[in-house]
Amino acid sequence: MDLTSLLLYIIRQLDGERTMYAGFHLLRGKRSGQTLQDVEYYQLKPFFGILPKLHIEQFDKAAKVLKNNKFVTIDDHAFVHMTKQGLMAANDLPKFQFNGWDYRGRELLFFARLSLIVQTVSHFKRGEKSFIPTQRDRDIQFFVKKMLYRQPIEDPKFSRTIGQEIVLAMERSGMVEKQKIIFTHRLDGFQCTGWTWNQLATEFDEPPFSVYLSFIESLHLMLAAIERSTDMPMLRKMSERIKVATYLTDSSMKTKQLFAQGLSMGEIATSRKLKMSTIEDHFVEMSINEEQFPIEQFVTRSEMEVVKEKVAELGTKRLRLLKDEFSNLSYFQLRLILGVLSRGGGNWTSTKS
Amino acid sequence: MDINEILKERFGFEQFKAGQEEVIQDVISKKDTIAILPTGSGKSLCYQLPAYLLSGTVLIVSPLVALMEDQVAIMKRNGEKRVVALNSFLSFTERTHIMQHLERYKFVFVSPEMLLQSYVLEKLKQLSLALIVVDEAHCISQWGFDFRPDYLRLGEFFEDMERPNILALTATADDQVLQDIIHYLRLDAVKVHKYSLDRPNISYVIQEMNGEQEKTQWLQKRVKETTGPGIVYVASRRRADELANRLNEGGASVASYHAGMSQEDRAFIQDQFINDEIDWICATNAFGMGIHKDNVRQVIHEHIPATIASYAQEVGRAGRDGKLSVATLIYSLDDIGKIRFIMHEDLPKEEEIRHFNELIKSGVTLAEAAELVGMSETGIRVVQYYLERLSLTDTISRIKEQGIEKEKQLQKMMVIIQSEKCIREAMLEFFGERKAIKPASCCSICGEMDHSWIFDLERKDGQRQLADWSQRLGQLLG
Repeated sequence: MDLTSLLLYIIRQLDGERTMYAGFHLLRGKRSGQTLQDVEYYQLKPFFGILPKLHIEQFDKAAKVLKNNKFVTIDDHAFVHMTKQGLMAANDLPKFQFNGWDYRGRELLFFARLSLIVQTVSHFKRGEKSFIPTQRDRDIQFFVKKMLYRQPIEDPKFSRTIGQEIVLAMERSGMVEKQKIIFTHRLDGFQCTGWTWNQLATEFDEPPFSVYLSFIESLHLMLAAIERSTDMPMLRKMSERIKVATYLTDSSMKTKQLFAQGLSMGEIATSRKLKMSTIEDHFVEMSINEEQFPIEQFVTRSEMEVVKEKVAELGTKRLRLLKDEFSNLSYFQLRLILGVLSRGGGNWTSTKS
Repeated sequence: MDINEILKERFGFEQFKAGQEEVIQDVISKKDTIAILPTGSGKSLCYQLPAYLLSGTVLIVSPLVALMEDQVAIMKRNGEKRVVALNSFLSFTERTHIMQHLERYKFVFVSPEMLLQSYVLEKLKQLSLALIVVDEAHCISQWGFDFRPDYLRLGEFFEDMERPNILALTATADDQVLQDIIHYLRLDAVKVHKYSLDRPNISYVIQEMNGEQEKTQWLQKRVKETTGPGIVYVASRRRADELANRLNEGGASVASYHAGMSQEDRAFIQDQFINDEIDWICATNAFGMGIHKDNVRQVIHEHIPATIASYAQEVGRAGRDGKLSVATLIYSLDDIGKIRFIMHEDLPKEEEIRHFNELIKSGVTLAEAAELVGMSETGIRVVQYYLERLSLTDTISRIKEQGIEKEKQLQKMMVIIQSEKCIREAMLEFFGERKAIKPASCCSICGEMDHSWIFDLERKDGQRQLADWSQRLGQLLG
């Protein structure tokens, strides 16, 4: 698993309908209307925000590999297309098990908490009460201090309980053997130093970044296992507020609240001093993420039905092509329909029309 | 009780190390004091001991949170519980709690950015302070290599209160830096104690090479055949990574270290090095401060250091245990251009300063202005400091002067590299010292060095091995 293979998978989903950089924004988890829409339309939720700090240079390098191998081509509009070889290569890709949509980089926060707790109890049970914490982040230190307050951290039984929970979570998660090795060697403690990405990479004879991706995937798997289980109270506590609670951006959330208070879109734009196009983006985001989105206030049921059929017929979600077919509908209306459709049709809450 | 008794009872020492007693005498006679003592000479005793003779709190300003936490941990381990570190790593609740009971502590460590908080300063004014200690005081000088802009304001803070005497501590200070310390801390009738920075157990070698390839080959051989633990200082992050990879092929265990790595990876490397699990580190100048390792046998520079002071500081990480150690500098002439580029890249440019000034005047926040202009963090803080005190034109010329000064510093380093003068002597002269003793193995100019000992290497092969995951968890938590 490396950036190139992730990108190949992503491009297969976006085939011919987006530029290469849609993949970049997706991996970094850009919370813009376009990217959030893409995530839904092209079923790319698992990859959203798995690399919040990805550098453009690194991305370009991976893109170049795909181009040089003739797996993808770029057309005059800068859209990226899969080639035959590319499609074949994509068939051989491993099964990715990311869940970027739910964790968005926050899985690292969970790991930081866990690692500081392990480092702390590992020292305390040996009677070593002072050590230099590997995690320097103040919020993480604060979280851990609070969590360990009045806990028997010097008792070896306590540390074994944490160990048992980790074993359980790893087993239930479906992590492979290598991921378990990586996970445990990224932890450190008393007379037991951690392993850097480079050091792990040398051992596994693969690039450091592949080791890192594998680690991120294992954290997603583990967090899901913890969420499903009721018998790992410590890990549960550590994963508190890691999963995103609302899929809406803060700004969209505000728009949603004002709309619920009865303001029109124009009034929302005026009162928030935002452009109308921004408010439209917020509504599209809501159409994608909100089960109860009132699509009937924007289009008729039959309009939605015909668009749905056309999408299936043309096999595209590109707006411009759809717009050519439906001159009576605005871009905004089409985007809302696509948003609702991406959830599998949505609830038609009203019978009017 | 006199100081010798306290030394014995509190600290368990029979004798003072060179310099300590004189410094302590001045501190307890309430004089402003500057102590320039080499690293590893027991600087902290110079304020810890007087604390037991003075009533009130000892306030210690320290530039690095890691250093501070370290010092607190050591003091606590030695049985002094009335010690606390006030820094931005504390949570709000903890900080509030500490602030409410600040008078309970005998030693309060504080970072300079905490002093910028008015409530901290107010609280400190209410305390009865016995002594103010400024650790790593050379950080106050913008001519120095470790410049911390927040240090500039210390003098102003302390002047506003009825301050006790100040003790400024540093391991490196040439005359200019010394003057800056006196000026910015606003010291009165200051007593300066300066002890030789010479490290007779370190021998110096300087060798010219033809470019990077030759350096790499030389280093490969060196790492393969001679003993660690050692540090190779390089000029860039990229080079640190590349070189570590190349050197690893030779059987020694080598890791890179630079600020571009994750915080976790950096902590892992530090721990591994301190525990002798890896032999060599290829590092940028980000590596060193706050790392306590006594048995470093070799420090190698494979580029030209920007200043003599930073060179001395980095070399000084060798041989803290007093045993023989070697400092080697290999360079090629094209290094000069590279180092000059890095040096000036950091310095704010005139148009950046003007742009920044306009943005601030138009009401843009500091953070936004910094982002828009794209200056380095240090650059921003320096510019901000001067703009608050000087006109725009003066600020610009002040920053330009710094550029010129950096160039001068580089020239001085070049003189040491290229002259035919004893390296030890030349370095000591830079710090205003005369060479007192000539060790048997002095330097490559003096010649006749016996370095046969560096070839006695015991390499513990395969110390680090991946465990299976359950074994690893057992080690950590079982």
